[in-house]
Amino acid sequence: MTSVAVKPPRKSKISKTLGSQWQLMLMSVPMLLYVLLFNYAPMWGWLEAFKDYSSKNALATGNAPWIGFGNFNFLFNDPLVKTDFLLSIRNTLAMSVINLVFGTVSSILLAVLLNELRSKTFKRTVQTVTYLPHFLSMIVVVSIAQNIFATNGPLNGILRSLGLIKEDVFWLGDKKYFWWLVGVINVWKEVGWNTIIYISAMTSIDPCLYEAAAIDGAGRFQRILHVTLPGIKSTFVILLIMNIGHLMEAGFEIQYLLGRGVVYDVASTIDIFVLKYGTEKLDIGVATAAGMFKSVVAIILLIIANMTAKALDEDTLI
Amino acid sequence: MRKILAVLLVLAMVLALVPAVMAEGALEPVTLTVFIGDPGDAPKEDNKIYKMIEEKFGVTFEFEYLAGNLDETIGLKIANKDYADLFCAGNSADLAISGGAMINLLDYVSPEKTPRLWAHIEPQKARLIDKDADGNDVLYIIPNYGLADGDQIVNSVGGPAFFVQKQVLAWAGYPQIKTLNQYFDLIEKFIDANPTDANGTPYIGFAILCEDWRHFCLINPVQHLMGRPNDGEVYICVTDQNYEVTGNDPSVPYKTETFIDKPYAKAYYKKLNEEFQKGLIDQSTFTDSYDAYIAKISSGIVLGMFDQTWDFGSGTQALTDAKMYENTYAALGLVYDPEYVNGVEIEEHYVNGGLPNVRRGFGISVACQCPERIVAMWEEMLSDEWQILFNWGIEGEDYYIEDGRLLMTEEQYANLSNSEWKLENKADGIFTNSPKKQGYIMNDITIGDQVIKAGNCWEPGNQPEILFGLMNDYDKEFLSAYGYKKFGDFVNPPIELAPYGEAWQINYDPVDTEHTKFLQVQDQRLPEMIMADPAEFDAKWDAFVEEIGPSAKAFEEYMQGAVLEEVKKVVGE
Repeated sequence: MTSVAVKPPRKSKISKTLGSQWQLMLMSVPMLLYVLLFNYAPMWGWLEAFKDYSSKNALATGNAPWIGFGNFNFLFNDPLVKTDFLLSIRNTLAMSVINLVFGTVSSILLAVLLNELRSKTFKRTVQTVTYLPHFLSMIVVVSIAQNIFATNGPLNGILRSLGLIKEDVFWLGDKKYFWWLVGVINVWKEVGWNTIIYISAMTSIDPCLYEAAAIDGAGRFQRILHVTLPGIKSTFVILLIMNIGHLMEAGFEIQYLLGRGVVYDVASTIDIFVLKYGTEKLDIGVATAAGMFKSVVAIILLIIANMTAKALDEDTLI
Repeated sequence: MRKILAVLLVLAMVLALVPAVMAEGALEPVTLTVFIGDPGDAPKEDNKIYKMIEEKFGVTFEFEYLAGNLDETIGLKIANKDYADLFCAGNSADLAISGGAMINLLDYVSPEKTPRLWAHIEPQKARLIDKDADGNDVLYIIPNYGLADGDQIVNSVGGPAFFVQKQVLAWAGYPQIKTLNQYFDLIEKFIDANPTDANGTPYIGFAILCEDWRHFCLINPVQHLMGRPNDGEVYICVTDQNYEVTGNDPSVPYKTETFIDKPYAKAYYKKLNEEFQKGLIDQSTFTDSYDAYIAKISSGIVLGMFDQTWDFGSGTQALTDAKMYENTYAALGLVYDPEYVNGVEIEEHYVNGGLPNVRRGFGISVACQCPERIVAMWEEMLSDEWQILFNWGIEGEDYYIEDGRLLMTEEQYANLSNSEWKLENKADGIFTNSPKKQGYIMNDITIGDQVIKAGNCWEPGNQPEILFGLMNDYDKEFLSAYGYKKFGDFVNPPIELAPYGEAWQINYDPVDTEHTKFLQVQDQRLPEMIMADPAEFDAKWDAFVEEIGPSAKAFEEYMQGAVLEEVKKVVGE
């Protein structure tokens, strides 16, 4: 942004802009209401994080006493709960990072490949086929995965007939595979969908650049490297910032559906922790505190990512 | 003259009807919402029994069945105060009660107001009626099962047992299998000789279901191997032998301990570890969902498992429908071989004395506007006529009476296991969780102009003419090869119910983090241990005992107190 030599008086500028853009303002009102109603109003519920719901009657009577930061203290200091909670933070972050890396790399890769295709029909077909799983319910996806990765399932069968493994691999029950499995399932489900935004960014790249590069003797890979990828850089950064804001959300459906005793140590996420305390044990205070902790960390992560992007002179979100 | 008489007669009849009509007319038609804590299907619109209920009581029902996890569903309902009028929280009833979802039925049930209901619960009222925090008598749920009349019927094992496919026993020449080692030896030998079924699918020697609350298949066997019926997660010493095998001090009455961390439990999991190494146990068993488990059972490839009969009923049903009788299961009452318990020959007790299903069934929620009407309906439904209607159906259509005996044709009996037919012709949605009569019919009942004599069974499946008359040929031959009359003969007859009942029914605080930890450590470590390298087993076991120690201790102390409390309630001081 270029600096302005003389700043006009602030107030008049805002009211002038408001006046001249009143139609746009009017159109944004429903969105504003939506955010207020569904994103800000529920924050009222955060108050429950400071109440004690551990007694049986608190919920029935609705009189839970205020206990300040007692629930947070419980989360981080109670010997039984602490390990559980810290584990779920670790798992959440690990699976988020895996999802983020896998998701971004795979969708950029697919977008680049599709962008290079000449045949429109083939491109369309691949695009449709890859984004259809996005519309499947996660429970369906997980059931498919359970069948594929079962000990006596097709994956082990293929690997064995190729001579890559001798013993069947216990994909679903071995702790060391679990996070990667979640990553793979997420990629399969979302890769096509995530590709759409990159493809649209690529179509907005000026064709002259490709021609100029070709004239300068750039081969296909060089064109990808020096034209396509820089062309989608700002989209990539914006998406990255948004995704970093979601780092504390590793999703919970896959972990919930695949999580059993054997993989509990690696499958429990913050969301599952919240679910367990909030609905199974009815300790709404502890559940809200855990959820609140998650949100606060997410906001901090978002601000850090945004500041980093700003420092690197990239487009920013806020 | 005749005309006048006729008119008078008609008038008399009309007059006689008036009070009845007025009484019935006073009942506004009402739609009750019903929540059932099990998956299921709502009945068809034109269901004949619900039509009769609507005519008689002016009540129609709107069903909501469980979809998803029970504890979570109940938790959400409590948090939102979103209750159906008739509320069956299943195994999470304690959560619903402590969350304030249920009304105290004692405000509506009394010897004067509801003589039938009272007579129904009276013999077991010490077990059923609790005290609330203020010391008042409370009864939230009238048990759906277990308040039976007459001698206990044990035609088959309805609860826990080690199961084995009938074909395995038949293949081995119908041996008597009484101990853990015999059981696994048998399966091993069978699988060596027959690695796959007729389609080439490999057999699974032993399956262990451990999804969610159904992890009892993994955890519970130890107590049974040690000679006790189902006390949930604790072992309670009742007989001298119980004290002897556990090594507990006999002077402590009803000594209660968690069994999972005791040396005698190690023997079972070590055995499972060995069998796992031999490939008898499928790895996937520890990650299979309940549906996957049932699918495997239904396909007939699971040779054995520890479970409870009701838990895999749909699997048995599928096998029966496909006429794969040899793949259905016989229930065995196994005990530890003497070598595991210092040479003691353990007496087997899988079947317990009749026990009311305390706090399981319908309660009335605080959201209900007309609790007295529901109670009045239950009162009427406990009449002989309605009980016959619910259990047997309509005379001439669903069953027939001959010489005072209730009978069914083969087709009529087959309908009872046809779920589509049942949605049109049975009122199971309401009946299953409502108070009901079980066991033997104690007095003659007149239906129309026919008499049903005392001594019939309330449930068609227990009626000897049906059970044995309509049994398939495979089962008949199978039983006669053993010289048994019924499948219940595979286990010892029931022992007398201990005064505390069965300890799995004892309520514990659902918010208790110690207990969560106790269950979680088992779910995590036991499968790990079973799949571990045998050389690491001992170290893993020791680590497990140490990890679970504190939470097991806390649970043990709580349960010891609760058991003695229960005994005091039932026996008096």
